[in-house]
Amino acid sequence: MRRNIKFILTLVKMKIIGSSVFRLSFFGAFFVDGSMFTLQVLMFEAIYSQIGSIGDWARGDMMIFIGTFSLLNAINMTVYFFGLIGIPRKVIDGDLDYYITKPVNPLLRLTFENVDLGSLPLIFLSVGIVIYGVNIAGYILSALDIALYTVLVLLMALLYYDMEVLLRTVAFFALSVGNLESIEGSLFDLCMKLPGTLFKGAYKVIFMFILPYGIMATLPSQALTGALTAEAAVYGVAIVAVFTFAALRFWKFGLSRYKSASS
Amino acid sequence: MKKYIETARFYFKAQLAFRFNVVMGILLAVGRIIFAYVLWGAVFSDRGTYGGFTFDTMLAYYIINGFLTQFELSDGVSGEVSARIRGGTFSKYMVLPADVEGYFFAQSLGASAFYMIIAAVTSGVWILLFGVKITFVGGSVIALAALMAFMGMIVMIQINYFLGLLTFKFMNISIFLMIKSNLFALLNGTLIPLALMPGWFGNIFRYTPLYYVSYLPSMMAIGRLVEQAAFGFATLGVWMIALFIINRRAYSVLRVRFDGVGI
Repeated sequence: MRRNIKFILTLVKMKIIGSSVFRLSFFGAFFVDGSMFTLQVLMFEAIYSQIGSIGDWARGDMMIFIGTFSLLNAINMTVYFFGLIGIPRKVIDGDLDYYITKPVNPLLRLTFENVDLGSLPLIFLSVGIVIYGVNIAGYILSALDIALYTVLVLLMALLYYDMEVLLRTVAFFALSVGNLESIEGSLFDLCMKLPGTLFKGAYKVIFMFILPYGIMATLPSQALTGALTAEAAVYGVAIVAVFTFAALRFWKFGLSRYKSASS
Repeated sequence: MKKYIETARFYFKAQLAFRFNVVMGILLAVGRIIFAYVLWGAVFSDRGTYGGFTFDTMLAYYIINGFLTQFELSDGVSGEVSARIRGGTFSKYMVLPADVEGYFFAQSLGASAFYMIIAAVTSGVWILLFGVKITFVGGSVIALAALMAFMGMIVMIQINYFLGLLTFKFMNISIFLMIKSNLFALLNGTLIPLALMPGWFGNIFRYTPLYYVSYLPSMMAIGRLVEQAAFGFATLGVWMIALFIINRRAYSVLRVRFDGVGI
């Protein structure tokens, strides 16, 4: 464990040195994703100017939801996105050879080798949106609420990570995962605008059970709005456990099928 | 003119080579329709109208807007111009016995014509699938909306060509292009109809061409804001002339910065 932490810190240090060469694009992800979530806030402000609630979600609740999804996205962009996104290319080109021949877990290195500190301000922006939502709704939060919210956000960030690993592991079995990544982007785009509880029927089955993007920001948000039930919390933890197990197993299975492109 | 028609015809046919990607891209647009269906389904669950829309006209708006934005491919122009300049292969266009901007017009319009056919089919499928009742507003209004959308597409190609040319000066504009895409999604009325935004918003942005690319044609197609058509055509005309002059000037000034790295 200690060795892994030391390794991760070294990767981060190397990344910072590398980023200093491309100073102009350092805050790129922050500006791109920051503008996306800011526009989403504007969009829902416009919708709520004429109505009190959408389903059970009042204006403040929706702002908390948007801020929470933005926070999950921020954690993703800061910590693992830029590392995981390169997996398919490395598998197809055979560059994974450089990872599996090193005395360190390849997935650990791939996860943390492209930490993007330029996305860090997104976390502050997201927390700002959440606080804005809490203020609008007039919630008075206890330390327990905030602790539960934090734990759920971290669990959902892990679920997000699992989904990304699962999808990119398909590269071990297919020539291209470009279309799968497009589907992922489309589903993500859909679920970041709609709390999971608004889905009904088949959509609910898809987004709450099969591809659980729908629970990612919904459950932590409910922890702040007071709508979170014990059953929902347990379900959230269970689904994270199932997807984490599946992602790690699938990754191992994929790695065992890896045929170096250079051999 | 013949060479531009040939270029357009070539790019129309070239899309056939990527037909799976074309179909995937258009199928993924269903995300927008699901978003509209779920979000507005919740909003209209306890009211008959909202912002002058019924549930059916709202869905019709999203389907028509989605149809128009699916074959508006001008984003590719800025991406292509920028990538070619950065890669040092823009000289490919400089040595063509054709006007560079004209060539990009032909390229984009040729590809758009192909996408338009598939988008029309899939939009029909969405209408049937989601049971949307479309009210026919009359052939002349539809013809005006189509003409406006076409002029809007021309202006968008001009804007994106100009943005691509900025690479001569700034080298890396990819982040700027991504922020632009986020912003244009709001201003084109892709996220929500601009009629739902505060009044000042529409009053300002009706002087920009973005208002007329897909938003106003979509509104006209559902029988609303037809009275703004004349102002729209005039505004688009002014922008087309201004951008024509700006692009000519920008190209002649900036192209001397090209050092053809990589040739």
